[in-house]
Amino acid sequence: MSVSRRDFIKRSAALTAASYVGMNLPIGDVNVAEAVDVDNWVRGTCRLCGVGCRLEMGVKGGRPVALRGVPESRTNYGYLCMKGMLFYKIMQHPERLKKPLYREKKDQPFREISWDTALDLAAKGFAESVKKYGHDSVAYYGSGQCLTEETYLFQKVMRGGLQTNNVEGNPRLCMASAVGGYLTSFGADEPIGGYANVERSYCMFIIGSNMAEAHPVFYRRVMRRKLDNPDKVKIINADPRISPTSRIADMHMQFRPGTDMALMNAMAYVIIDENLYDEKFLREYSTFRVGKDKKEVDMAAYKASLDEYTPEKAARVCGGNITAEDIRTAARWFATSQGTLSMWCMGINQRKQGVWANNLIHNLHILTGQLCKPGADSLSLTGQPNACGGVREGGGLCHILPGHRLVKKEKLRNQVEDAWGVPRGRIPPKPGYHTMAMFQAVNDKKIRAIWINCSSPAQSLPNVTPYREGMKSDDVFMVCTDIFPTKTTECANLILPTAFHFEKTGVYGCTERRSQITPKAVDAPGDAMPEVWIVREWALKLAKELNDPVIAQCVAPFVGKEPDFELPEAIWDEYTQKLTKHRDNDLRGATYDVLKSMADGVQWPAPTKEFALTGGTVMKFVRGSDPMADSEAKDDKPYQFYGPAHADKKLWIWLRPYVGADEEPDAEYPLYLSTGRIIDHWHTTSMTGRVPELLRANPYSFVEINPKDAKKMGVRPGDMVEIESRRGKVEMPAKVVEGPMEGMVFAYWHDMHEDRMINKVCNDAYDPGSKEPEFKICSCRVRRLSGPRALTPYITQLNG
Amino acid sequence: MPIGGFIVNTQPEFVTDVAGQLNLIDDVEVHGFDDSGNIIAVIDSVTSEDMESKIATIEKIDPVLTVGVAYLHAEDEIEKIESGELVIDNPFGRKKKN
Repeated sequence: MSVSRRDFIKRSAALTAASYVGMNLPIGDVNVAEAVDVDNWVRGTCRLCGVGCRLEMGVKGGRPVALRGVPESRTNYGYLCMKGMLFYKIMQHPERLKKPLYREKKDQPFREISWDTALDLAAKGFAESVKKYGHDSVAYYGSGQCLTEETYLFQKVMRGGLQTNNVEGNPRLCMASAVGGYLTSFGADEPIGGYANVERSYCMFIIGSNMAEAHPVFYRRVMRRKLDNPDKVKIINADPRISPTSRIADMHMQFRPGTDMALMNAMAYVIIDENLYDEKFLREYSTFRVGKDKKEVDMAAYKASLDEYTPEKAARVCGGNITAEDIRTAARWFATSQGTLSMWCMGINQRKQGVWANNLIHNLHILTGQLCKPGADSLSLTGQPNACGGVREGGGLCHILPGHRLVKKEKLRNQVEDAWGVPRGRIPPKPGYHTMAMFQAVNDKKIRAIWINCSSPAQSLPNVTPYREGMKSDDVFMVCTDIFPTKTTECANLILPTAFHFEKTGVYGCTERRSQITPKAVDAPGDAMPEVWIVREWALKLAKELNDPVIAQCVAPFVGKEPDFELPEAIWDEYTQKLTKHRDNDLRGATYDVLKSMADGVQWPAPTKEFALTGGTVMKFVRGSDPMADSEAKDDKPYQFYGPAHADKKLWIWLRPYVGADEEPDAEYPLYLSTGRIIDHWHTTSMTGRVPELLRANPYSFVEINPKDAKKMGVRPGDMVEIESRRGKVEMPAKVVEGPMEGMVFAYWHDMHEDRMINKVCNDAYDPGSKEPEFKICSCRVRRLSGPRALTPYITQLNG
Repeated sequence: MPIGGFIVNTQPEFVTDVAGQLNLIDDVEVHGFDDSGNIIAVIDSVTSEDMESKIATIEKIDPVLTVGVAYLHAEDEIEKIESGELVIDNPFGRKKKN
């Protein structure tokens, strides 16, 4: 029987899907690889969240025509979500930036210019600022979506060339508290284990994360584990809001925003009170610490610090639906399971006490020994595809250098300077401005030239309105590299069009210490170029403008390399071979050749090619899994916590009292406001908002209101409401739903429209340690404006 | 005219019911399901917007927990975009300025 081409493709689609779940279909054995007439399949990584799903793009005649998952990949086992599947529409979009654009004054329209002129202008703008106002008058602000090679090269030119540590990135807004938590609790950044623990876990504690919408493919693994083992596996979901993630939970603990620290201290209280802790693990691997001076105390002091957190008291503090018995039950499940896995995201990190909240999750794991064994881990989920690999590991924040080195340590600065072949002392000893301070410095005209790469702080900063003033000022020269116009390009003098994913080559490092390469598959549109080429050419011109050969030295190893493959590979080689050598993120074995040969990349540490080809380190610190647990061992114990931040090589349990939100509701602003992401959209919607299928699914933000609150306010579903805080107000439609708890509203933050941009309302108070702002909690008031109103979706246009 | 291969995950006890409901949706074909709650479905739609709409409909079926994509073929649609037969819609109702 003849089969039409469409039938053939449909059968292939069905068989591909069935193969992921081991199902046999009675429709014949179609050869999937031959189903689509493509020239070649190019294997890479999805860039629309931090999970690191592997996919293959089918390319025909130089354009993308098909996508499929990679079933051998240990990140996603072939599964993808619709957001990832539609990203070819971003590549093909007619609004892609294709030419360098310039305007001298920010009220002028942009005009097209050549690359040579654009790079001259960028070099002159930064050089003039340095000459007139000093090295710290210039800054770079990057992104967890930049490739590692891009972040690394930008920060190298800024530090080694322009002699400033004003290097930041948007992971400060999402990941910094997780970094602080890992460093202070485990002595080393990034998780000990990874996704593989899901299938071995018997208790999963999900707190401050709506992973069903924010990380849908990874959530599927959690769901599968629960559905396949409904009686053996317990899932605890702790969150002030009931979300799609709650649907598979055995227990949903709905606490008042900001009281999770009381909840976790109460769980620790129960674990100690009922002798559920792992005495041997505690004795061999941990100490108790308190205060800014990190004073070591004994377990009795820790126990005394928890006296205030009896389950009964904590349940009262937490409010919501939490009872003392719930806390006891959760603590017992957590402590006694064969393997407990905690997972969290922005609900824990985007907090004024974000580091402490992270510490309290880690405390539970250390207390119970739920670490370093199958199914047990304390796993921070990441929002962006390369917040870990590029920014945390590659030196993309103001206080860190590549290879998890601190700026403030001279020995570590010297190691970097020597590796770069620049004079010692070239990297200044003082960390630069962190994100919120950086944009305040822009406002204060302390920063006069800033380069913003692949990010939109003019929309994504909390309390965004005042921070836009400096960006809009003609006293500040602003360069933006991006693929689409954004709210931030509206503040730029110079816009440089960049190649998108699969239009250039580079590495992303996802949540679980896994580095994965995406090679160039298709040409970028128009004159768009890879960032690594842009930085190299800019640095060469900058060296001439400032008559400083050291700037040229920063890019000298890369001169003459073609930009699509040779250049990023040379940068990756320098970074991994020179800067990660003998560091805890040792990636020397993960060469481009090795990464290309792997279905799913390499988990560090991976000091040798032979080891990297096995996939790398599944469980850090564990002898037999992690080669550095042997090479850095201090004794013969099976676990070796060799991280750079703890000289005693131990895990630290912190005495951290419950501290509430920076801004609590009061008579004037009686409600909590929290914000978050919706499944179809990514951050500021500069990409997903341009895909009609995704935009129409959620064309504008809305605010979820608990039915009891809605009744009090006289708000019905679809009514327009005003949300106002001490910082600003917006208006959007109401969704009346049993999502947020009573006394709390929840707004989606993706909307670019000025009237609906919730970040105008959010609080910009930040964690004193991590400097991460408290997006997740502030006080507000809500009032009904009108009945349902027709709204227009909005995405900014060039010169629009 | 994109074609997609999907794994719809449901609560296992409802898998038969959900598979039946999927079969009633235009352009959705159920190719199989198992006791674990996995349903293999193919959507052959006129546009990717239409496909997104079908997925939204599936996601709203109460026992459905996730909809995972395994395979998407969109060559026909891309050819139409390139030939001008299909214009990537500007959902904002405004004329593009450059």
